[in-house]
Amino acid sequence: MQFIYNPLGMWTLMKREVHRFLKVYLQTVISTLISNLLYLAIFGGTLSSRHITIGHVGYLKFLVPGLCVMGVILSSFQNPSFSIVAHKFQNTIMDFNSYPLSHFEKLVGFIFGGTCRGILIGGVTYLATIPFAGAWMVHPIWFFISLVFVGITFSAIGVISGLCVKTFEGTNFFLSIILTPITYLAGVFFQVSSLPGVLSKIALFNPLFPLVSSVRYMYLGVSEGNIVINISYALGVMFFFCIVAYIFIQKGIGLKY
Amino acid sequence: MFTIIEWEENVQNNHLENSKWLFSILGGNLIEINGVSKCYQNGKKQALKEISFHIKAQEFVALLGQNGAGKTTLINILGGNVKKDSGEIKIAGLNLEHQELLTKRKLGIVPQEISIDFNFTIFEILKFQCGYFGKKFDKDYAEYLLEKLSLSDKKHVRGRFLSGGMKRRLLIAKALIHNPEIIILDEPTAGVDIELRHSLYEFLNELRQMGKTIILTTHYLEEAEKLCDRIIMIKDGEVIADESKHILMQKYANKQVITVMFEEGFNPFESILFEYEISIEGQELSIHFHKSKLATVLKKLTKLPVILETLSITQANLEDVFLHLTQREET
Repeated sequence: MQFIYNPLGMWTLMKREVHRFLKVYLQTVISTLISNLLYLAIFGGTLSSRHITIGHVGYLKFLVPGLCVMGVILSSFQNPSFSIVAHKFQNTIMDFNSYPLSHFEKLVGFIFGGTCRGILIGGVTYLATIPFAGAWMVHPIWFFISLVFVGITFSAIGVISGLCVKTFEGTNFFLSIILTPITYLAGVFFQVSSLPGVLSKIALFNPLFPLVSSVRYMYLGVSEGNIVINISYALGVMFFFCIVAYIFIQKGIGLKY
Repeated sequence: MFTIIEWEENVQNNHLENSKWLFSILGGNLIEINGVSKCYQNGKKQALKEISFHIKAQEFVALLGQNGAGKTTLINILGGNVKKDSGEIKIAGLNLEHQELLTKRKLGIVPQEISIDFNFTIFEILKFQCGYFGKKFDKDYAEYLLEKLSLSDKKHVRGRFLSGGMKRRLLIAKALIHNPEIIILDEPTAGVDIELRHSLYEFLNELRQMGKTIILTTHYLEEAEKLCDRIIMIKDGEVIADESKHILMQKYANKQVITVMFEEGFNPFESILFEYEISIEGQELSIHFHKSKLATVLKKLTKLPVILETLSITQANLEDVFLHLTQREET
């Protein structure tokens, strides 16, 4: 088992994955950014005028890390999953079997592209919210690092999804029917504990809740749930999905027949 | 100073270069395929049945067979797209399974199906391809390849806007951009017009003169006849012929083929010419026979109660050899 064999090959794949989404920036960057700003305008604008505060924090400020992490989750997932399905569509997926790249290098290449896109969306969303919510945050470096971890996690999930599905419909199904609702319900727009009755307890088991909560903690200095448990969970999930994605590539699932 | 990986690779590359040199001097094998089998559909369809052959350095080999014979499966195994069920493949003495990454650097494969990145330009595609193989992009070499493949004026055009023939030529450039030792071409000229096909033949000959080892699969048998030194024919996953082109043609040079056009509605040939190998397509009859039998065959034909429209006598070519061998296997 060789992890790094062809660094130039891995770097090429990393560059290719970034280059791909930048080539279609209107679709991959601008449209997501506009959606996030609309969320900020609609939810943040209307609700902040009603002076709703969550804990000691204003709603607009509460919303910013949620939007950033949502941007990272959805974009990081989309980049590798759509890229791999596009490779299948173009028949270029088979080329990956003939390149002298280790399984690890292929995984890193795809995850890097996804994480870059996620961080770009998260970062640009944050910058776009500065005029409305201000630039201040509690742990700026940790905020950035936590977004990177979330990006890696969802890029790995994107790799798994891309390898498993054969068509763009399959990826869209996973994105629209599973990932987006779970992300919305993970406390991006609201405090999970504010949900009525038993729903607030159920929402704590949302697998994305600790990730959103950890990022929010880095931004606001406060969050729901135990922050140590949330961060440990986030790291555990990241390693778990990276290992699963590695095994998928190693076994040639969706790559070989 | 070398890192451990670079050092290992250097040693292995030297080993590969030395082996290749030694193989060419001593007449050894650069590619060894030993007892390779592959089944699809849970063993219901056997694509390759313990296939074995060896290829020497700098040979130009044609891998021929009808559709579904197993040629592409074999190429896909070499390219890493298909997992073989059993057997062993060695490239310059290195096991394809255990030293996969090292052997991959030495192979350049032109796949049968078009596989082009639609979002990138030809130049970008070649740049990435070179990088994937761990080599720095050589712009001059890329320009040279594109010129040879008549794609120079399209280098800044995106993959999606290329015609079918251009895409196919781009596949060849992709396979050659990292300057591999072994080039495998799976039907590279399908859909390429005749003029470009001939310029491609010249280019392949140039590559052979540069010392490349080439494996070609094609349905254009005149292509194989013109270019290759050796012919390997596969049928139903088994090798049915493996000879140098000259030996194969010599075997059949003693043979001649009479092609006869006859009137529709009457066909007594199979019963009358039963001692010869015959094939009938529509109203065209081909009779294969040893050249010493020409007079006898002609005598038999003249006695037939049919009106013969045209008659031509030709020396057997590769197409005749191919048809003869594949049909003989069927009967």
